[in-house]
Amino acid sequence: MSLQFCWRTTCLLTTAAALFISIAAPKAHADIPDENYQLILEHLLTTVMPPKLDALHGATSDLADTLEDFCSDPDEDGLADARGDFHTAMDIWQEIQPWRMGPLVANGRDQHIEYWPDKHGTATRQFRKLMFNKPAAFTDPVKLSEASAALQGFPALEEVLFDDAHSNALTSASEDGIFLCQYGSAIATNLVTITDELRDEWPGFAEAMRNAGPDSMDYPTAKFAATDLYRALHEGLLIISTQKLGRPLGDGEKDAKASRGESETSKRSLRNIHHNLIGLLAIYDGKWGDAGEEGKGLAALIDSSLLDRSFRLNWQTVQDTLADLPPSLAELLDQPDGYQKLVDLQGQIDFLTTLVENDVGGNTNLGGGFNALDGD
Amino acid sequence: MRHQRREFLKLMGVGGAFTLLPLDLARAATPAVQDRATYISASAGDHDDYYVSAFNAAGKILFEQPLPGRGHDLGLRPNHVDVAAVERRPGLYALILDRHTGDVRAKLHCPEDRRFYGHSIYSNDGRFLYVSENDFAHQRGVISVWDANDGYRRVAEFDSYGMGPHELHLMPGGDQIAVANGGLHTHPDQDGRTPLNIATMEPNLSVIDRKTGELVHQASLKQDWHQLSIRHIDVATNGTIAVGFQYHGGLTDEVPLVGTYNPGKEIRAMEAPDTVQVRMRQYCGSVRFDASGQVFGISCPRGGIVTFWDAKTSDFLTHIAAPDGCGLSATDRAGEFVNTSGLGNGWRMDAIRRKRVELPDDSHKSLRWDNHLQRIAI
Repeated sequence: MSLQFCWRTTCLLTTAAALFISIAAPKAHADIPDENYQLILEHLLTTVMPPKLDALHGATSDLADTLEDFCSDPDEDGLADARGDFHTAMDIWQEIQPWRMGPLVANGRDQHIEYWPDKHGTATRQFRKLMFNKPAAFTDPVKLSEASAALQGFPALEEVLFDDAHSNALTSASEDGIFLCQYGSAIATNLVTITDELRDEWPGFAEAMRNAGPDSMDYPTAKFAATDLYRALHEGLLIISTQKLGRPLGDGEKDAKASRGESETSKRSLRNIHHNLIGLLAIYDGKWGDAGEEGKGLAALIDSSLLDRSFRLNWQTVQDTLADLPPSLAELLDQPDGYQKLVDLQGQIDFLTTLVENDVGGNTNLGGGFNALDGD
Repeated sequence: MRHQRREFLKLMGVGGAFTLLPLDLARAATPAVQDRATYISASAGDHDDYYVSAFNAAGKILFEQPLPGRGHDLGLRPNHVDVAAVERRPGLYALILDRHTGDVRAKLHCPEDRRFYGHSIYSNDGRFLYVSENDFAHQRGVISVWDANDGYRRVAEFDSYGMGPHELHLMPGGDQIAVANGGLHTHPDQDGRTPLNIATMEPNLSVIDRKTGELVHQASLKQDWHQLSIRHIDVATNGTIAVGFQYHGGLTDEVPLVGTYNPGKEIRAMEAPDTVQVRMRQYCGSVRFDASGQVFGISCPRGGIVTFWDAKTSDFLTHIAAPDGCGLSATDRAGEFVNTSGLGNGWRMDAIRRKRVELPDDSHKSLRWDNHLQRIAI
């Protein structure tokens, strides 16, 4: 499908949807029974998310095993396998990442899994120091878990596996290579521990959300609990626009810098966004790969099929756009019209954000109250 | 957190199993309706209609006084019926209302080259009203002085020593005023609310001699945190200032949203556990000390929670969910607050026991309660 055609079509659909909604406004914003929010919580938190957390744990376990094998007998194939497993684990992490709530953020867990954005170049600075001293503690997963978040998690492992400067050392098992491999292995093992904790803590959190009620000091209503899901959807898009795209775009074409993007060392900044969008759409749709069921997410609260269709088409348009772009920001920005393509992508994400704020937020009654939307 | 609460209970003199039960029973034996105070706040209806409204401790509406535009906070004149309702930024008017009836007793007009910023405070003798203002042409904050004994004539103004002054409070003794300079430049030609200097904003907390207008103390956060707008404050009887920030940087940036300040020292930043910190959504609304002066509450309407802190130990105590809750006022009991919501709810909250009880009279639910709530003791 041509991008231009698709974009124009969905814009028209959106206009039609807006007209429809304006006519049907009182109905669209009618009170929604708390039981309806309860069903969505039940579905998303207990049916959809747990298998994804299992998948993340499984992928980090595979990565740790592969790294252990690679370190015992390093060669080019082993490195390629480790990189492949890194991408698999990173794909599922990027789908889970926008669900910023409960165990995902507890004890800085999301930062330990992925310390980004690193505005002050902390990881690079600390990594240089690490390579100079090569402290044995950093090859021990338990001790590593107590170290700076910038030296744990996916970005640190990405530096080990994908920085070309380290490839020869890794495969030739030089002194640097042996340390790097053991450090990388410790990072992967620590990720297994963290994702295991995450998986273990999720049911308790889901239970608290599902048991929303007047006696709960955390979630007095199911609607209020569902607001956290809506916020994850809304903020997930804002983060893509302002951080994942906004940072590399800079203040203009001359200021653009791919290295400010996420995971650009492994050349997958835009691949990350594709996977972010999969995890975010699950909040709306209720189906996430093999998990869940279509229409049982926030979409269940939207009583206009036209609006629902428009929203999905616009979402698909962004995914289609991404499919036509290389996974790496550097590669895209090397193209003559690469900067403009990135600006266009940001515009499409911003448009999705507007739809979430106006259509999804308005029709689900989750868009925020008087003080939240316009405080001082 | 459990440990922190236990420590706090000890500090409050109610720690340990021995005191928990008696305090619970004492509370149970004296229901909230025995609170004879009046609570007063700006409010809104569903059709761009705005009011100053008052309710009793049960939540029963006592009066609704229409306003020409959206209000914000209310200044209470000591030992007098006057209440100052200053329009929120960029405000052009302020009404002086009778606290018992809502009747308008005087009207203040903002000079053309200024805009009101929603907050005001009276001197302890009730004679002067101080209002935070924006001198937008010169990109500076101003505190204007109005003589209540002379028909609320504007008699003076002095520098707020920062941009975008917002909440202000008298310091103990009443000779100095603490001003939260939010650091944001706005201009009425561009809606008067949109920040125009996010990249360069420099918020600060200033303590000013209200009689001379001279700066006595000033504190800022470290440069990395310059996008933390210092907006709302409250002052304890011992002079400790509790501060709530509003962050204008990235959604995932890890920044403190709460602090305390003792003039002459640095601002002490405080953070909640990660799961709560994320739910604060980078935004604090109202700040209020409790009756003991040791606990303060900070509402976070974007996250729908009220957080509670121990000013003495700088510990986070607990949080209580309050959908769109923002207005916050202390009752006359240690650790107890009333919180109002933009969705119409009102609750009594007990920060020590972590309890939330809805106000029983439904009449207050007909309104959307605005950012700040004041308590008028009888």
